[in-house]
Amino acid sequence: MDQLLQHGLNALMLGGTYALLGIGLTLIFGIMRVVNFTHGELYAFGAYMMYMLVMLTGANFFVALVLAVALGVALGAALEFVLLRKLRGADIDTTMLVMIGAWIALQNAEQLAWTGVAQSIDSPFPSAPLVIGTVSVSWGRVFVFCVALALIAATYALINHTRLGKAMRATFQDRDTAALMGIQIGTINNATFALGSGLAAAAGALLGPVYVAYPTMGDLAALKAFAIVILGGLGSIAGATAGGFILALAEELGAGYISSGYRDAMGFVLIILILIFKPTGLFAQKERVG
Amino acid sequence: MKKLLTALWVLFLFSLPLWMGNQYVLHVLVVTGIFIVAAMSLNLLLGYAGQLSLGHVAFFGIGAYASALVSLGFSVHVTPDTVLALAPQPVWCGVLAAVLAAGACGWFIGRLSFKVRGAYFVIVSISFAEVVRLIALNWVELTQGPMALNNIPPLTLWLPGLGEYTFWKKPENYWLVLSIALVSYVIVRRLVRSRAGRAMVALRENEPLATSVGIDVTRYLVLATVISAAMAGAAGALYAHYIRIVDPDVFLFIYTVTMVIMVITGGKGTLAGPVVGGLIFGLLPETLRAFAIPPEVQWIVYGVLMVLVVYFLPAGIVPAAQQWWQRRQGKLAIAKAAP
Amino acid sequence: MNRTIWTSIGAGLVGAALLAGPAAAQGVIRIGVTQPLTGAFAASGNYVTQGAKIAEDQINAAGGVLGRKIQLVVEDNKSNPTEAVATAEKLIGKDKVPVMMGAWSSTLTLAVMPKLMEYGVPMLVETSSSGKITTSGNPWIFRISPTSEMEAKAFAAMAKKMGIKKADFLSTNNDFGLGAAKEFSEMLKGQGVQIGTMETMDPKATDFSAQLAKIKASGSDTLFVTTAVEQITLILKQAKEQQLKARIITTGGSNSPDQLIQQAGDAANGSFHLVFFTPWFPEAVKNPDLARKFVAEWNARKYPVGGLTEGFRGWDGINTIVAAIKAAGKAEPQAIQKALWNVKVKGINGDIAFIKQGPAGKESAQNVPSVYVVKIEKGKVARN
Repeated sequence: MDQLLQHGLNALMLGGTYALLGIGLTLIFGIMRVVNFTHGELYAFGAYMMYMLVMLTGANFFVALVLAVALGVALGAALEFVLLRKLRGADIDTTMLVMIGAWIALQNAEQLAWTGVAQSIDSPFPSAPLVIGTVSVSWGRVFVFCVALALIAATYALINHTRLGKAMRATFQDRDTAALMGIQIGTINNATFALGSGLAAAAGALLGPVYVAYPTMGDLAALKAFAIVILGGLGSIAGATAGGFILALAEELGAGYISSGYRDAMGFVLIILILIFKPTGLFAQKERVG
Repeated sequence: MKKLLTALWVLFLFSLPLWMGNQYVLHVLVVTGIFIVAAMSLNLLLGYAGQLSLGHVAFFGIGAYASALVSLGFSVHVTPDTVLALAPQPVWCGVLAAVLAAGACGWFIGRLSFKVRGAYFVIVSISFAEVVRLIALNWVELTQGPMALNNIPPLTLWLPGLGEYTFWKKPENYWLVLSIALVSYVIVRRLVRSRAGRAMVALRENEPLATSVGIDVTRYLVLATVISAAMAGAAGALYAHYIRIVDPDVFLFIYTVTMVIMVITGGKGTLAGPVVGGLIFGLLPETLRAFAIPPEVQWIVYGVLMVLVVYFLPAGIVPAAQQWWQRRQGKLAIAKAAP
Repeated sequence: MNRTIWTSIGAGLVGAALLAGPAAAQGVIRIGVTQPLTGAFAASGNYVTQGAKIAEDQINAAGGVLGRKIQLVVEDNKSNPTEAVATAEKLIGKDKVPVMMGAWSSTLTLAVMPKLMEYGVPMLVETSSSGKITTSGNPWIFRISPTSEMEAKAFAAMAKKMGIKKADFLSTNNDFGLGAAKEFSEMLKGQGVQIGTMETMDPKATDFSAQLAKIKASGSDTLFVTTAVEQITLILKQAKEQQLKARIITTGGSNSPDQLIQQAGDAANGSFHLVFFTPWFPEAVKNPDLARKFVAEWNARKYPVGGLTEGFRGWDGINTIVAAIKAAGKAEPQAIQKALWNVKVKGINGDIAFIKQGPAGKESAQNVPSVYVVKIEKGKVARN
């Protein structure tokens, strides 16, 4: 029973960051219809920015966190402007290829800049864990969980209660009509990509100090983000949030009770099952035509 | 005239090992050739049928493992009491098994893709490849997991009159891969120019319209996937018996990316596209190796090059070259016609 | 269609021409080195190469061998078996090296082995631990690193002293981790130790909470961990988070205690590590002066301190090869292979000499290296 509780607690803590990754990607994927392969690299970027700021320039941890997310947003906006702006209207293969090329270039640039050795980032939290009965969790993870929830709430508020959010939702529902209504699709695209990237960078900046930063850390994160998007349904924030927690729970329970080696397979098995039985995802808002 | 040029070119390719003594270059050409076969199979699915499959390496890897396991023999416990065992079989048996196994998986994916399309299919295909990789990694009893299947026997051919012939040397492997590449090219060409091929293109261009005209979507999609998968499986088998070691890393996403790059920069939906793309991106990493630049920079060059090709030649190199030639022809014709 | 034919021919010819490359330089003796400089094992591959480069410079400064300087031709096998084969082809086929060192991980080395047989070139194996390498009947293999079996046996006496009653295993899911888990568990079973649960993880995984929760529930007093240093750092941290009481022992030699102290902080205290070189107390090794010189040169070049526990492998490897070249009298593969059987080299790990291992008539060579156990306490490495 204790083991089960511990697994549940682990899943809860992890689910928050998975949700951040998933929300970022589902927005980009849903509104822009771009298969964003650089999502994982933004995650790694967030972690590396924390490394740079905290370890190399000695900045305050929390200030660094805010800066890292801001830098992630900026990088996302820049990527969209440089790479995707000209490709608007091109078919999905082309954008996919460009994203893959950018992914390879970014990942190796990170490796060139900071070497392949994993870098750890000091965090101000005590290393002794918070003990609740028979289960324990580190303070660092609790912090990550709280910040993740805050960011999820903020994003939800942005999408549902601001004008920008309204414009995004309109673009998601019907791009052409939205354009006819006077919405600047270019700006929306840029804002969406920047927001999604910022969330990925936030996830990386939060998890970097909990784990370590290394150049290929984004790959697995990206694949899981895709799994969450499918689970939750394209374009649904609530879906991505739920998807994040479900994936984390599936991983923990699968690794704990079925087989630890297949831990990362859980997400993919879930994807395939969902797509066979409920292709629109668990919480889809729109009929997916493809 | 065209046929003569084609024949000359094929002859030239066959003659290569006779005057090129450099074993290293031959090795690179063999590996490139294997990847070109895989790229051609992906082109069938991606270029002609219009299905974005990013898990193609799964078929390649399944073919490699199937062939390796059949030629090495295996025994697994399906339940704690019963054992399923196979004694080592001749290599051609393994290749056959590879084609069948990959084709069967292709059938499964083909049926699945009936329900999902576009970006969702992309993700399903990636997930499929990842799951297969994790199975290969963890089902140690069957696949040796990360300890890899090594000492895989090289290809042997049984020719009537000559008996068994084993492909130890590089030139022989080169000729074998070249022959298989040519055969694959011919298969794809005949398929694409047949009724089935036209149906696939119709599917790609406008699916609702194609269905309304009476084209059976599922049937042609599944057909395309099965043939594509079987061909990739054959390429995988070739790979297993040439490199002679197979480990779960053969399922890594980066190999799918390599194949996709080859097809799309070469020109998807064209016959020669994957060949050109394959030559470029198969030879490029090895060429870059000669210039002693840090490996990360090599990869960055690779990535940037990809983006540039996509920007300036979005349909791929082959269609761009064709267009350029046609424009030149047009100009020449005008020049000739003008008094 | 014609255009595309010519384009393809053009692309092919240009590529082939570029691959043909410059002619080999006369005068230097080239030694091929294939290591993972990028990819999953990049950190370790770079450490080994750095150690090898130190050896190269020291040997050349002392006049080289046979009156000629040596030159390391380093190729990146990208942590990938297909690339490992390509590097072997290039080094042997194009650079015409008479001897090689590599390829770091067991799978990479296994991939290269058929090439050694095909071309008849010896290779010195400096890190790989799989038993298969020296028992496959390949007479061109000369290994100085220990197999997991040797490591386990060397640890047996220490295990008894530690009084282990029940042990769990957490290993990375590749030949290195699984091999070690198998050998150590068998060694412990022979001593009457109870084996708890044997968990694995993906080499790229960063979250082990599920595995650790399971291990915590098993009630063992010791946990054996075999993986690379990045994962060990995370395991130590997460074990502390979950309040794992068991003592942690890491094996395999890729565990870099310095890096662990730096990155895991006080989560590293109380852990034990099996290493093949103790740069913190060189007097513990067989040839302390060599060790001290190496450490001094490494630090002078400002190489990462955490890399010392792997970099020495490159140094030992190159010195062994050069000793063989000297004994052979000429830089030719078969002569070097014969000479390698008889070398006796003073290495950083200890004295290097080869014994026969594998099927009769086609034996490979294996060195019997020394294994050391250190402990981390109060943020420092201590002798056990």
